[in-house]
Amino acid sequence: MNPNPGRTNLRVLRIELRRSVAPWAGVLVLVSALAFLHLVPGAWWKGPALWTAQWTSMALWTRFLLVFLWPLAVGLGALQGLRDSRSRMSELLSSTPRPARHRAAALAGTTAFALVSAFALVVLVGAVRVLAGGAAYAHLGWLPISLVGALALAAGAVLGMGVARALPSVLTPPALAVGAFLFVTLLRRTTDAEVPTSGAPNRLALLSPLVAEVRQPLLTLSAPVHAGQTFWLLGAAATGLALLAAATRRGRVLALTPLLAGGAAALLLLPAGPRDTYVVDRAAAAQVCDGPVCVTTAERARLGDLAGRGAEVLRLLRGALGDQAPTGIRETTLLRGLLDPAERSDDALLLDFGDAAIGEAGGGELTRALVAQGVVPLCNARSGVESGSLEEAVAQSIAAAWVLGDLRQLEGTMHGAKDWADEARPVWEQLIALPQPEQRRRIGALHAAAVSCSGGLLTELTGGASR
Amino acid sequence: MRWLTLYARSRQVPASLAAVLAGAAAVAALAGIGGGGTADPRLSTLVLAAGAAAVSVGLGGQDLALDRTAAIRWVPRRAAHVLLCGVLVAAVLWAVRAVGGEPASPAFVVRNSAGLMGLVAVGAAWCGQRYAWTPLFAWLPFAFAAPAATGTTGGTGVATQVLTWMLQPPGTPAATWTAGLLAVAGTAVYATGGPRR
Repeated sequence: MNPNPGRTNLRVLRIELRRSVAPWAGVLVLVSALAFLHLVPGAWWKGPALWTAQWTSMALWTRFLLVFLWPLAVGLGALQGLRDSRSRMSELLSSTPRPARHRAAALAGTTAFALVSAFALVVLVGAVRVLAGGAAYAHLGWLPISLVGALALAAGAVLGMGVARALPSVLTPPALAVGAFLFVTLLRRTTDAEVPTSGAPNRLALLSPLVAEVRQPLLTLSAPVHAGQTFWLLGAAATGLALLAAATRRGRVLALTPLLAGGAAALLLLPAGPRDTYVVDRAAAAQVCDGPVCVTTAERARLGDLAGRGAEVLRLLRGALGDQAPTGIRETTLLRGLLDPAERSDDALLLDFGDAAIGEAGGGELTRALVAQGVVPLCNARSGVESGSLEEAVAQSIAAAWVLGDLRQLEGTMHGAKDWADEARPVWEQLIALPQPEQRRRIGALHAAAVSCSGGLLTELTGGASR
Repeated sequence: MRWLTLYARSRQVPASLAAVLAGAAAVAALAGIGGGGTADPRLSTLVLAAGAAAVSVGLGGQDLALDRTAAIRWVPRRAAHVLLCGVLVAAVLWAVRAVGGEPASPAFVVRNSAGLMGLVAVGAAWCGQRYAWTPLFAWLPFAFAAPAATGTTGGTGVATQVLTWMLQPPGTPAATWTAGLLAVAGTAVYATGGPRR
């Protein structure tokens, strides 16, 4: 009868792609994802956690978009799954000799194809921008993150279709979409601790395909997470397909088996604690050095500029601090909770590119920021969401001014210009009125106080006048 | 009375009522697992959004053409339908919060239930009853994903406040205006035009 079943199937798929909402689902995913990344201000916009700064950040931010893409996929899948009952022809279809699984595959395949292509395009846009940005650390460790994300979209849509076929009510699509949104929202991780944690048990939280926001770019997901989530999502997709094809009540109950099996396998594989979930990418965190200046592999692109400037800064610091001066410059790799103190070092100047004063400075401003950090290493870290203390910002700018001349506020701190000037001017004028050896002694005392994090930086400069 | 019963049945009131209650129960149960007490504005908003999405399937009947042949004044009936749904959704949230031991702030509940119902009504008028929940659902995740990154830096502009109106504390003018505008526009558009076919 049919000389070429392969070609017929292809034609069915093409018709399905043309006639169903699948292409629209793809367009919706693509447009909303790109609009979100480009129009909504957030941590993905700038700084070291920029979504196109590193490969891993790119993969994690695009995967983070599943917070709305995944419920969207589930809801669209459910709408698609209601199509037959909406057109009131399911009885007609069940009387045709064509097996139900063929129709299920065509319906599920086209929607999954459209969603996965759209997600791949978003990742592609990110990849092109990462390449154009010249990320120094190229690797393929990010790929599983994106692959699981694409699988999650496909599985969500297929599961939505299957459930809508089993429960054909106009309530099903909104209930599924809102339910999926509840699921990912309530299991969402916060990034306040050293590694992203969820209020729910870790294994349960990992059943949500969402990943945490990127705050510390060196963190990546561990391999068991990918494995466990893949099993879980494959189980969900298989259940969706089985529900689409099932004709009897018994078939529908049996269709739940893959979901349960996948869930059980996932719970066995997934790590129990957040520390095994988010791990430091060792290759990215490995230090590369040029003379006394060391940065992580991930930030190697900055090394060329830093190396020349670093030698100059170390010389200036030796002149200012004598034996107390740091002997090297090194990027910090400490994992920090939000508002935790910054890493300390006795002999090295520690860089944190999350501090906008250093991370976004260039040219002479970078030299100034490095000198400031060398004399007054920060105890209260500055980052996109932490302002550091005003006292430290003032002390840093005074120290830089003492070494380089010209009192100015460091660019990139979040403190108001007036607040800064009110604190800085009197202290600065008092300091430079003193004889040279006394000034030098007080800068030394300031450095000692800053290194030991004992506070009272400005009283060291004013000689304990306001103590 | 008979008219009301038939109307309620054609608007799937029993099913959506069950869905509203199930949604509230699900949020309350999941909040226990996911942490973050009932005072969290996100959870209250989730309860309201789930409720609004559930009642949205009642914004149109089984057969639109048949409805329109009825020579009755639809405008006040449709407006009353939207208002009643808003009151119902708000009451469910109120009950959940009261059971949790922390009664919700009335300004917050009124603002959000009005705004979300308005959004659903816009959806019904614009996309049809079957897709009435989609505008609500398009806005919800944006609001939830956006502030987590910007909230801690302090300076939230008016654009962000409008975008995340459903999570802003009560008394934020931009959020109140957005919700009010959505409620009025949604109810008006739906009451005059009815659901799109």
